[in-house]
Amino acid sequence: MAIAVKLDDLLHDRRMTLTELADRIGITLANLSILKTGKARAVRFSTLDAICKALACQPGDILRFEPDEAP
Amino acid sequence: MSHSYSAALPVAHIVLKFLVVLNWLSGAAILALLVVMPHEQWIMAEFGLSPSPEAERLVMGLRAIAVVGLATIPLNHALLKRLLAIVGTVRAGDPFVAANANRLQAIAWALLALQLLSLVVGAIADAISTPAHPLHFDAGFSINGWLAVLLTFVLARVFAEGGLMREDLERTV
Repeated sequence: MAIAVKLDDLLHDRRMTLTELADRIGITLANLSILKTGKARAVRFSTLDAICKALACQPGDILRFEPDEAP
Repeated sequence: MSHSYSAALPVAHIVLKFLVVLNWLSGAAILALLVVMPHEQWIMAEFGLSPSPEAERLVMGLRAIAVVGLATIPLNHALLKRLLAIVGTVRAGDPFVAANANRLQAIAWALLALQLLSLVVGAIADAISTPAHPLHFDAGFSINGWLAVLLTFVLARVFAEGGLMREDLERTV
């Protein structure tokens, strides 16, 4: 997947744990882990909205396009 | 609606289990007919025939139909067992899985094979039936049967797509 999730870096910068974020935005820790580990197939706008509000960031700070290396 | 579903599924489960047993019993009966009672005289006596080339043809035809009937037993078994598994997943509340799409695909192929065997039985029955000894088998071409084959293939595809959508939904955050 060429879309990388930078949630770990953001959480580290904000000195916040994944559990705290899950509590703040009302999303289960399991679902947030799926997002953090890049296993998610899709992200709802409502989820992005909640994360951006909680971490005071832009969607582009969470998601980044990293092209796959040519084989 | 949910009440009718909750009642229908246990009933379907029991009926399918009963049909699995009935299918094997039918197979045993056909096998007994072929192996234990193969005597032409017995068959001729049952049909009130006197020894003649026509009577021999009739006996051969009936034996061929019995062999085809025997071939339908494993097909029926494969079909019923997969249907039973699908009912199980519906009862568990998780029917849109890739396994069910594969099961429906296998059921569709089994139905197709059964329709082809039905054509064979119909053809044999037509070949050995005479005005003196007419044979009426519930076999041959059936528009409903072929529609069921088509419908099951389409349904298998629908389940495959449904399974993919379900998987996407599960991994949507």
